[in-house]
Amino acid sequence: MTFNLRDYGANIWARANKWQRYLMALVFIVAAFSLPLLENTFFNTPNTPFVSVLFYPIGLYTLMALGLNVVVGKSGLLDLGYVAFYAVGAYTAGLLGASLKLNTWEVMPIGIALAMLSGLILGAAVLRLKGDYLAIVTLGFGEIIRITALNSPAIGASMGITDIANPPTTFGFKFDLDNPESYYWTILIIIIITIMAIRILSIRRPGRAWEAIRQDEDVAELMGVNIYKYKLWAFVFGAAVGGAAGVLFASESMFISPNIFKLEVSIFILAFVVFGGMGNIWGVILGAVLLSYIPERIRFLSDARMLIFGLVLIIMMNLRPDGLLPRKKREKIKSDKKDSK
Amino acid sequence: MTNPVILELKDLTMQFGGVKALNQVNLSVKKGEILALIGPNGAGKTTVFNVVTGVYKPTNGEILFNGSSLKGKSRHRITKSGIARTFQNVRLFGDMTALENVLTATDVHNKSGLMGAMFTSPRSRREESASRKKAQEILEFIGIANRSDQLARNLPYGDQRRLEIARAMGTNPQLLLLDEPAAGFNPSEKKALGELIVKIRNSGYTVLLIEHDMSLVMDISDRVAVLDFGEKIADDLPKLVQDNPKVIEAYLGVPADAS
Ligand SMILES: Nc1ncnc2c1ncn2[C@@H]1O[C@H](COP(=O)(O)OP(=O)(O)O)[C@@H](O)[C@H]1O
Ligand SMILES: [Mg+2]
Repeated sequence: MTFNLRDYGANIWARANKWQRYLMALVFIVAAFSLPLLENTFFNTPNTPFVSVLFYPIGLYTLMALGLNVVVGKSGLLDLGYVAFYAVGAYTAGLLGASLKLNTWEVMPIGIALAMLSGLILGAAVLRLKGDYLAIVTLGFGEIIRITALNSPAIGASMGITDIANPPTTFGFKFDLDNPESYYWTILIIIIITIMAIRILSIRRPGRAWEAIRQDEDVAELMGVNIYKYKLWAFVFGAAVGGAAGVLFASESMFISPNIFKLEVSIFILAFVVFGGMGNIWGVILGAVLLSYIPERIRFLSDARMLIFGLVLIIMMNLRPDGLLPRKKREKIKSDKKDSK
Repeated sequence: MTNPVILELKDLTMQFGGVKALNQVNLSVKKGEILALIGPNGAGKTTVFNVVTGVYKPTNGEILFNGSSLKGKSRHRITKSGIARTFQNVRLFGDMTALENVLTATDVHNKSGLMGAMFTSPRSRREESASRKKAQEILEFIGIANRSDQLARNLPYGDQRRLEIARAMGTNPQLLLLDEPAAGFNPSEKKALGELIVKIRNSGYTVLLIEHDMSLVMDISDRVAVLDFGEKIADDLPKLVQDNPKVIEAYLGVPADAS
């Protein structure tokens, strides 16, 4: 029998009682919050301050990979235009922050809502398409958003938007260049909320509907699943996550321009999802963290990032087509017990 | 029989290019009966299921379910209105457990959606637990409760076939369409399945059954309709159909059907 990290982890979790589970979750969360302590250790990044790297690319890309995973991994809808929702969130922050004098936290729900609205509109337009057609049209959508921004002087055209305000000091935490850990901890909180939401949805009706649609959408529909509605929800949920990432990104970097929201970003995020293991939250997180950290850690890799990504994906697709930690492949422990009775 | 008609096909025609898979078929299924639909391979039996469940739009004709037309209804609405089916080639959700397969179907009558699930609304909580209870009951009824936490694709073939029936029952249908549920079964498995189908009927369902095994058909069905080249050539009590010369000819004319 080959060792399977996913099953190993799932086994430990399945055998644990409620308190052990709380404890494990707590340890994980504390460990994640403590990552900034690794600065100036072996893990330090040579080009960019380590704590900033934790926020971007690691935190932001992990968050977006989780959002895209609901669309691609759980529901099986190949979306190549995911960057569009990131852009909608970022531009909302850039425009509303200045014009309406709203701070980051006030902009956040608006950015998320507008991203969801664009998810709804895009979804309504394209979700009757399947497979390759869906991929191509979503890719086009991502590019249209970018090119529209590029050609709209009202939102800065190619110059983008500058001087976007940092978030205000909150609960005593300052958000500025000297306090990069505040951003990291914020994105970590959003990631944890997203993980909890996805886990809850997965074991209830929406998760079953997505899973059924991914496996055989015709049968899903014949078994009563409103496939159009749940595909839309997958899009809208993914868009919300992308929008949140965009708002936070804009307020940290203080500057956005259409150049940032290229097709590449969609491709990167999709690569994280595929590399880590489509449909499995922990696989996706592992994929996003590894693939966004390693090029920062190993200097010469960052220049050849695209090349390395391509190579890694090709190798993975051959050796481990389901990703590092593939989706559920085993039954629950409970059934073993029942059978042995 | 005085039972009301639950499903009525009126002059139903389904044309695929040059092929008339169904040609002006009239058929009524009465509430509470087991109606067997037989005929040589390619006669159009599965096409009847596909048209009734909304997979294809009929070229012509009408389908009435409980007296109202199914025309223009989307597939999931047809299912919700009370018609559920199995597939000739097993099409389970292989990566889900047996229980989850049934739950996906029971969800059709639940009202809470994504928001309810995400924020654990009281209704979502209530519906989730009621669904689980019901799905478990169905698995017990079908006799595969011991499989509930196993992935569908790891189940033995016979249990996969039974799980297909369980999943269809999950939608709480009035009319069950079973497409060759005993295909690949040995005689004793066939007999057990026949008993299961009778048990299903006796607990209030109406069954439209496509089946090749004549002795099973003769054993359990109340009525038999025969299709040949898309046309209905007989529709009668099992005994009478068996001796109908048209039926004998249809079957002898296509000896390959012995499978
Ligand atoms: N989607 C389709 N496209 C073209 N021809 C089809 C399609 N579905 C069924 N047919 C044709 O309709 C006829 C009846 O098929 P079917 O209903 O599957 O037969 P049965 O279930 O009685 O064996 C066959 O000739 C088959 O080739
Ligand atoms: Mg058939």
